Amino acid sequence: MSALLELRGLGISFGGMRAVDDLSLSIEEGHIAALIGPNGAGKTTVFNMITGVCRPNDGQILWQGQDITGAPPHRIASLGIRRTFQTIRLFPDMSVFENVRAGCHLRAHQRWWQGLLGSPAQRREDAMLAERTHELLRRLDLDGVADEPAVSLPYGLQRRVEMARALVAQPKLVILDEPAAGLNDAESAELSQTIFAIRDSGVTVLLVEHDMNVVMNVTDHIVVINFGRKIAEGDAAAVRDDPAVIEAYLGRDDEEPAP
Amino acid sequence: MSEPVEKQSVPSVWRIRTLSGPLLWAVGLAIPAVFDSSWVSIAAIFAIYAVSALSEDVILGRGGMFDMGHAVYFGIGAYVTAILNSSFGLPIFATLPAAVLLSAAAGALLAGPLMRLRGDYLLVATIGFNSIFVLAMQNDPGGMTGGSDGITGIGFPSLFGLPLASQSAMFWLDWVVLGIVLLLMRNLDRCEFGRAQRYLKQDELAATTLGVDARKVKTQAFALGAGLAGLAGTLFAVQLSTVSPASFVFTESVTLFAVVIVGGPGSIPGVLLGTALMFVVPQIFRDFAQYRYFVFGIAMIAVMVLRPQGLWPQRRRRA
Amino acid sequence: MDCRVKLGNDANEAIQFDRESLSFFDKKHPTLAGKVMGTFIQQVFNGLTVGGIYALIALGYTMVYGVMRLINFAHGDLCILGAFIGLTLLTGAAGSGHSGAVLLLCAFVLAVVVIAIAGVVLELVAYRPLRKADRLSAVVSALGASLLIENSIMLIWGPDVHVFPADLLPAITWTVAGANITFVQVMIILASVVLMTALYFFIHHTRFGTAIRATAIDQETAKLMGIKVNQVILTVFVIGPALGAIGGLFVGIYYREAYFTMGWTYGLYAFIAAILGGIGSIPGAMVGGVLLGLFNAFAAGYISSSWQDAITFALLIAILLVRPTGLMGEPDAGKV
Repeated sequence: MSALLELRGLGISFGGMRAVDDLSLSIEEGHIAALIGPNGAGKTTVFNMITGVCRPNDGQILWQGQDITGAPPHRIASLGIRRTFQTIRLFPDMSVFENVRAGCHLRAHQRWWQGLLGSPAQRREDAMLAERTHELLRRLDLDGVADEPAVSLPYGLQRRVEMARALVAQPKLVILDEPAAGLNDAESAELSQTIFAIRDSGVTVLLVEHDMNVVMNVTDHIVVINFGRKIAEGDAAAVRDDPAVIEAYLGRDDEEPAP
Repeated sequence: MSEPVEKQSVPSVWRIRTLSGPLLWAVGLAIPAVFDSSWVSIAAIFAIYAVSALSEDVILGRGGMFDMGHAVYFGIGAYVTAILNSSFGLPIFATLPAAVLLSAAAGALLAGPLMRLRGDYLLVATIGFNSIFVLAMQNDPGGMTGGSDGITGIGFPSLFGLPLASQSAMFWLDWVVLGIVLLLMRNLDRCEFGRAQRYLKQDELAATTLGVDARKVKTQAFALGAGLAGLAGTLFAVQLSTVSPASFVFTESVTLFAVVIVGGPGSIPGVLLGTALMFVVPQIFRDFAQYRYFVFGIAMIAVMVLRPQGLWPQRRRRA
Repeated sequence: MDCRVKLGNDANEAIQFDRESLSFFDKKHPTLAGKVMGTFIQQVFNGLTVGGIYALIALGYTMVYGVMRLINFAHGDLCILGAFIGLTLLTGAAGSGHSGAVLLLCAFVLAVVVIAIAGVVLELVAYRPLRKADRLSAVVSALGASLLIENSIMLIWGPDVHVFPADLLPAITWTVAGANITFVQVMIILASVVLMTALYFFIHHTRFGTAIRATAIDQETAKLMGIKVNQVILTVFVIGPALGAIGGLFVGIYYREAYFTMGWTYGLYAFIAAILGGIGSIPGAMVGGVLLGLFNAFAAGYISSSWQDAITFALLIAILLVRPTGLMGEPDAGKV
């Protein structure tokens, strides 16, 4: 299996501080991979670089062998990469349906003038995308709340909506930024099942997570970073016992232990 | 029709809502039959400014971009028609494509630099462009724009050889154009371009990660808004049969800005309401016409503090 | 706006302007050089006068922007309201027998007091309720306030141009190396310098000034340090409009006229000056004001006033695009 996503020597500095340094990793298609590390290790920054939100100073990002370093977010999305956000960024004034429908944006091939004139082709496409959205909502058990304002839902449901939005376009890779944050044990267990289901539907998963239960249960491949550098890599068992990892999480006085 | 209205099945209510707009428009066609020509000309001006305000809404209300120099595009359309008609003898309808395309092009051109600016700076830059335009027109480059006095004697449009010379005929032209623009706006609500604008306005970062090309959508919004304003400008030139720089000073832009913000950004009925309040009500209550801007000033503060979504907000969309 | 000063007749006759060959140091025509030098000094004084006025008004924009990151669009209108208030006192008290100096002093004091109060009211009504809302709501509110104040002026005083009474100040003119410098000009320049120095001293050498600077750098941290941010903001809305009112009244006295749309005319120019110098920077507003004033004065002789304005706006756009922090501002760590 070839690497779907590869990072080579990735690095970025923010005003003199080296946030990520010489990071290399590769993610195989069909895997569930995780990027873990203590708070402030640089995980979200890595995600931001992959998804085009910020531009690395050094190194390369390769997607299916092609260099996509520094490509803007909308181009990254067009390659089939989607993400969720640590803080949940649902559109505040839209219903659940509309939020998830937003994920279909790149599937809408209508031209702007077709839209303005309300051409039959445009209306057909609209109906088709609406149907696809409803189908996903049904599958994820969200169709009961389809018309509710998305931000009025309980936290766990909001996360599910955001995930639906990322998945509706059938991406090749989905990046989940702390999907278990704020979830209780039952919800976390559900999340694990959801992640498996996502993988089974043909989507590669990369996640950042603090909840070690979820990480250990779900992942095939873990990369551990601290202070922006890779300190360990391997499957769950290998990483759990790695002394460098243990030190990073439990180690010196001024660092917080893993939650 | 008398079934209890459930959340899911609201076809009858929906139908009333969607029909009331077109119905009102159709009723409006009868205005020249009922009112005398001074009221008809007020109605014509309303239609022209409504198109202008809707065009501003595309950029400000839907796009969230603080365009306070929109009179530029209005002015470009008006001047193009004026110059082509009075200096080159082109019939009015023949000037339309040039007027619309040139204003749209101006919008697309300005969009590039403007987009990079933060909200309040963007606003100031649009004032700058508006002012430069007015000053340029005043300076009469190439002797074409007539300087401060402008261009007079703009002709009537003629449709299939029939001159639309009466106020009523011009009103109908304006009203039909308004109807078309309203249709375009309704379609904009429902099509992907309109959705993309909403996504960008609510959370630009999230929208781009879903594939929305922010630059492209914003440029398109500017081009569309500018082009429609140019269309309104042509109608304006014909209605007044004169164009002069004074009609396009940035205070006119402030008017359009206020209309959209107070009426309801992104809301078609809201923008129409705002236009009516700004242009029709002062005609009805002549004594209070001079309080117009004073009232709007208060309204803008009040709306921001009390009702930021505007007087008649956009209905939350279901689908 | 036209800040050209008419040169004396003999100066006009003696000088043949040929732009390509004009040289201040042309030794072949010593008398020409002398007249030209006179013109140069003339323009410098004209520029400093207008520049001082711009600076006084610009300070209001920059101080509010500094502490609140808000462009107070109503500021220009407040300044011109100050001019109108002063005008009302001056025309009302004309013929009361008091000397011009006393009347002027009263006019300034009245204008400053009223406009300072107006500034505070503006902050409390239009901006404070929106402190938590997104910043752009405050911008709209500011525009509304501007419309409100501008049209209040129109409704109260009428849309016509009002003339300031003559003979308020001695019509003394000094001739320095061929330039005619009036008493009014010197007064304005001196007053501007004094006020700006006082402000600078206040900002940099008093505790409250430091509180203002701290709030401008980081409002949240200032709050945590125990600085009463609301008080700081109110103070800024007293000082800014007060200085602006003085500037506005100077406009009226210098040009001897006032009309209700002057708020945007001069306000926009002063705002451009603030941007040029670096919005948020107090020295920047001073420098920007003087530079813009000098530019206006020197350009006046060579370019028509509408092209001059067009160039000023083009300059504004260029600055916003290329170097939004202006000449002296610090880069705004503006988060997208």
